[in-house]
Amino acid sequence: MAKALRFKFSRSEQLKYIAHLDILRVFERALKRSKLPLAYTQGFNPRQKLVFGLPMSIGLTSEAEYADIEFEQDVAPEDFIRSMNSSLPEGIRILEAVEQNINDNIMNQITAAKYEIGLETREDISQNEMDNILHRLLSRDEIFVLKKTKKGMRPVNIRPWIYSLSIRKKEMNSFLMEAFLSAGAENNLRADLLMQAFNQETGLEAKTLAMHRKALYASSFNKWQDPFEVANG
Amino acid sequence: MRIKLDDSLLLKVEKPAKYTGNEWNMVKKNPEEVSLRFAFCFPDDYEIGMSHLGMKIMYHVLNKREDTYCERAFAPWADMEALLRENNIPLYTLETYTPLHEFDMVGFTLQYEMSFSNILNMLDLGGIPVLSKERTGNMPFVLAGGPCACNPEPIADFIDFFVIGEGEEVTPEIIEEYKKWKGSGESRDQFLERIAVIEGVYVPKLYDVSYHEDGTIKEVKPSSPIAPAKVKRRLIRDLDAVDFPDDIIVPYVGTVHDRIMLELFRGCIRGCRFCQAGFIYRPVRERSYEKLLDLAQKSVEKTGYDEISLISLSTSDYSSLPDLCNNLIKFTESEKVSLSLPSLRVDNFSLGLMEKVSKVRKSGLTFAPEAGTQRLRDVINKGVTDEDLVSSVQLAVAGGWSSVKLYFMLGLPTEAMEDVEGIADMGINLLEACRGLPGEYSKALRITLSTSCFVPKPFTPFQWEPMDSMASLMEKQYHLKDRIKKRTRRIDYRYHDAKLSFMEAVLARGDRRIGQVLYAAWKKGCKFDGWDEFFSFDKWMEAFRECGIDPEFYANRKRKFTEVMPWDHLDMGISKDFLQHECQKAYEGDLTRNCAVGCSQCGAQAYKAGICTKAKRGASENG
Repeated sequence: MAKALRFKFSRSEQLKYIAHLDILRVFERALKRSKLPLAYTQGFNPRQKLVFGLPMSIGLTSEAEYADIEFEQDVAPEDFIRSMNSSLPEGIRILEAVEQNINDNIMNQITAAKYEIGLETREDISQNEMDNILHRLLSRDEIFVLKKTKKGMRPVNIRPWIYSLSIRKKEMNSFLMEAFLSAGAENNLRADLLMQAFNQETGLEAKTLAMHRKALYASSFNKWQDPFEVANG
Repeated sequence: MRIKLDDSLLLKVEKPAKYTGNEWNMVKKNPEEVSLRFAFCFPDDYEIGMSHLGMKIMYHVLNKREDTYCERAFAPWADMEALLRENNIPLYTLETYTPLHEFDMVGFTLQYEMSFSNILNMLDLGGIPVLSKERTGNMPFVLAGGPCACNPEPIADFIDFFVIGEGEEVTPEIIEEYKKWKGSGESRDQFLERIAVIEGVYVPKLYDVSYHEDGTIKEVKPSSPIAPAKVKRRLIRDLDAVDFPDDIIVPYVGTVHDRIMLELFRGCIRGCRFCQAGFIYRPVRERSYEKLLDLAQKSVEKTGYDEISLISLSTSDYSSLPDLCNNLIKFTESEKVSLSLPSLRVDNFSLGLMEKVSKVRKSGLTFAPEAGTQRLRDVINKGVTDEDLVSSVQLAVAGGWSSVKLYFMLGLPTEAMEDVEGIADMGINLLEACRGLPGEYSKALRITLSTSCFVPKPFTPFQWEPMDSMASLMEKQYHLKDRIKKRTRRIDYRYHDAKLSFMEAVLARGDRRIGQVLYAAWKKGCKFDGWDEFFSFDKWMEAFRECGIDPEFYANRKRKFTEVMPWDHLDMGISKDFLQHECQKAYEGDLTRNCAVGCSQCGAQAYKAGICTKAKRGASENG
């Protein structure tokens, strides 16, 4: 039982066309329907105390999103899961929840994300050839791509934000890329921007078939950690 | 057939969730298990359509029936339409991704004349022949209803039948007939004849229109002995007796009115002479406040919305407003739900109320004096005086409101330049009157004056009036702009596009001959005409030229009282004699009392419903 919980949720195909702010509203309304004892902010426009780990862009599915929620009274994690899963639309499921008792919220803790990106090249390319392409790309110090920043569209070097990249051939011209990228409030590299850079630099004109988030990480003492591990300091 | 949409399509459009459905409270049924599949079509963008209360009501009423599955479709935005056409994907419903042409009935709601071209476009996208006469065999029946159905003639060529008036009771009657017809081996025409006898159903093909040499209508006459000479609109006599949805769909994308809407009452007691809604929904019928409270609580529970808005044509006229608000506020405060109260008359009571419910900063307050001089306000029967307005604005400013918006119309009957100037003068007077008031913003008060162009509408006392010419409207707009600019910088002036209003005027009072113009304009690519980024006046004018039809005949011509109007064969519950009398009173600047004070014999009393059944002051004076 706790007044603050950290929870993990998934988003499936049927809800992947929804923008991040809309997901926020989906949760706010589901929480209201759930009749859980929600805590609200003070002031003119009271808001639920709900914080998400990392925004989800349109088109992204995920099996590992995180958020923090506060209540007025103690709520057991299993009660939270049960009551939310009957209030949320089918495409979103709460997978796990743990007590949270630190002041730092999830948004400030997330630093990396792991993605699976399905892609299709125009021509048949061998695994070997693809490995070489990827190797050449990753051996560079700088990869500049136009990124939307506060000052407008600017060329940004994303190479330092790519921690690892591997690719596996599934059949003919279809591949599955696994990407481990910098994420969070600072230095966030979205999967679609990575694919834009990939196409720009390799000239492959690969089509993105699916983007899926596998995991989010917090880091402390130079170690990647599950966000649940850092929920209690 | 279930339409398959993949990422290559959906990730290319803006807000793809407008096209994927599956929202909270969306109704799921097995289409195989119903006798009638109904596609409810809103001829505008999803964000507009999903804000519309009428659609929510009909979706609820139809889906409550086990034998019917009502699904939704909206006009796809241009990016989505291009992809649908490019990939040969028909327009589909959000519930089951079924193309429109596979439905039994495809129904459009007519909220605004400028969405007519979208109806043609949606039919075409849905794989349904646009012209009614080209539909055969087991193609869907295309119907339409809503406020603009009170003059259905401009779209009579495209619609198989219209539902006139309120839909909750008549639609089930139509469904019962459909069930009898389906599988009976009878023809499409036989179905239309079956329903033509239902009160509130208008089947345009069963009526012939003839014209005089001067282009006016000679006669509208039933061509079949079954069709009634006058089609009487339907009316719900007791609002508490019909279902009102508490399980409305909660969209994923933000919509224009993304909240719970509680309908307090239908109709309006005021009788402002320009206002179509004020006449075609008579008499005023209220929902009881106990019922509304119950609906509010259930709606919050079932939707999770955190905002409730009270809906009506004039909230202050709701007879149990204090009871309703006091109880509602108790509930909304404890549930952290915010309450909004549009269409309130500003007085001490309502300001106190707004104070209590307002969670946002006091920013803008809106008034609608409609005309700039007392003389012209008397002409339109807008019972507001300069003193009312000054004291309302003073109250608001002293109460902390910092900006005030005032809405007016240009081109009202009998308007002179003096009346136009009165709009600017009123703004300046208000600034003066609020100088030195205690409110923290009184020195920083900003006033916005906004003018629309008056469009004469059917079933109003001004239905015979010419619309002001575009040249004159534009001259008035510039004159006003100039006059304001010369005197102060604290007043903002905004005005509507006269060309768009001109087109609205043509369609609002058009007859069947306008159908070919609409068809030609749609062929030229006209759609989303109510949106600045799409509206093309030039394309419409080309369409008129090609069809040899003069739009000014419809917009700018003064009609004689004796002229047969294109909608005269419809009975909206208001007598033509009353409207004519009101028009004559308008010229004299004679006011007509509101229904709460006494009856003025508009014709709606024949329904013996709502306010007409209540005793009131002054009723005995009336002959």
